[in-house]
Amino acid sequence: MPNHSTFIHLRYLSPLLIPFLLFFAGGITLAALQSLGMGLPFPYDGGMLDSYEALLTPYMLRSFLLSIKVGALAAFFSVVIGTVLAIGLWRMPSLLQQAGVIYKIPLILPHLAVGFIVFFFWAKSGLVSSTMFHAGIIGTPQDFPSILFGSDGWGMIIAYTYKQIPFALLMVYSSLKRLDMRLLETAYMLGASRARAFCTVTYPHINTVVHSTFCILFLFGFGAFEIPFLLGGSQPAMLSIEAYNMYFRKELYHRPQAMAILIGIFIFSVAFLTIYLRAVAPKRLEKQHD
Amino acid sequence: MTSKSIRHHALFLFFVLFFAAPTAVLVVSLFAPGWTWPDIVPKQYSTKALLSVWQHKNAIAMNLGVSVLYSLTTTLCTLLLSLFPAYHFARAQFAGKNILQGILLTPALVPAMTFSMGIHHIFIKLSLADTFGGVVLILTIFSYPFMLRALISGFEAYSHEYELCAKNLGATLWMRLRYVTFPLLLPAIIAGGSVVFLVAFSDYYLVFLIGGGVVPSFTGYLFPFITGADRAMASALSLIFLIVPVVLFIIVELSMRRFYQRSGLY
Repeated sequence: MPNHSTFIHLRYLSPLLIPFLLFFAGGITLAALQSLGMGLPFPYDGGMLDSYEALLTPYMLRSFLLSIKVGALAAFFSVVIGTVLAIGLWRMPSLLQQAGVIYKIPLILPHLAVGFIVFFFWAKSGLVSSTMFHAGIIGTPQDFPSILFGSDGWGMIIAYTYKQIPFALLMVYSSLKRLDMRLLETAYMLGASRARAFCTVTYPHINTVVHSTFCILFLFGFGAFEIPFLLGGSQPAMLSIEAYNMYFRKELYHRPQAMAILIGIFIFSVAFLTIYLRAVAPKRLEKQHD
Repeated sequence: MTSKSIRHHALFLFFVLFFAAPTAVLVVSLFAPGWTWPDIVPKQYSTKALLSVWQHKNAIAMNLGVSVLYSLTTTLCTLLLSLFPAYHFARAQFAGKNILQGILLTPALVPAMTFSMGIHHIFIKLSLADTFGGVVLILTIFSYPFMLRALISGFEAYSHEYELCAKNLGATLWMRLRYVTFPLLLPAIIAGGSVVFLVAFSDYYLVFLIGGGVVPSFTGYLFPFITGADRAMASALSLIFLIVPVVLFIIVELSMRRFYQRSGLY
């Protein structure tokens, strides 16, 4: 009986389903309602879609594009560098591999501390700037390019990349541990070049992990708060900061707009996950048919 | 040394420089409060920052203690909530399983701001805002997917026949849980628990939003120092942030080994 078994499944899953529906789905629903002007803790006389219309400005578009740029570049650099380092670590002798766990340091450091480290090195009066002074490239701290707090987001990209490389490394490395090294040796013996061995042996094995890691990192960088709060610029700021400012720093009647930004972030994230994972999935099927 | 060995050592040196050296610079900075542009190496060293940490030791200990407490509580909550669903996902086959699993993992994938801000004023109405329980609740909702994912892999890693075999040999439910399920699942619990703990411990925004500055947190305590002028103090506090999880992980690792040795499993 289908109804009966559905009930059993739901009963087993209920410890998570109930909090998920109440607080996660509920939270999103409340944000959506508030963005439409409903359920607000104060009287609101705007129209249903006013808050969304108010966001259709070139300024918000730039904020959206900046968020995509920061998230995507940081995730891309992290995945590429993390994969290269993971392969390097995987091929090391076992003693060095064990000592290699120091790569987890930035993973343990909270985003705030990573932000501080990036500030320490890359600020106008930071260590890199000091080094360039001694190398005779710059004369004063003001000559050092403003990498942090700029509207091009490079400070945030550096911070996210540094924080996320260990995560990508960890994911790819644990996948590589399940790959038999002898497969690669066989490929080399059969005359495969390094690039060819990577494409035909290593990459198909880690491909799923690489893509899911990219998704996780991209969406995190796209919508997280701490790093932009510490290192971001303000004209425009990342979407998360714009939503924060609307919610906490402006008048109450801006609150529907804050919620509209959040709903925008949510819809974009879900759409991205669905489209990206679907675009990656068929390729894997084709490969299995080869 | 062969060229291969040189390559390995060169890469290892890169690991040290890239992953450990920036944190080591914080140690130097801790002892050099007057380290400013354009010195590459500090001109003078002092223990001023250490004294300052000592002076603030009560505030630091309080914030750190509450942070550790709500992170551990969150870890425990995610474990309790995820156990049955993870077991069911790993063992049962039913239509829509993958989609349902994907949906249940979304809270960790989509930015945490999206659901936490919508629910904020409900938390205020329910008097959950500005409370320890509210912080644990919001962190649990955000971080349970890490535990769920780890436990599903943990259950999938061994066959249900182990438990069946114990049952056939006459083991009671408690004995099966104690001597079969728990030892086999422990690595997954620890893997998931470490991630959940780190996520909760290093979170700034959710604790700030729901805790409202009333619930002490080390991230909240650290923030003004990081943006402030006293870099030595900020370095010291950042290092404390690194030490606590590391010490905790070492304790967990050692007790896990002792557990396996005593039960004669490895």
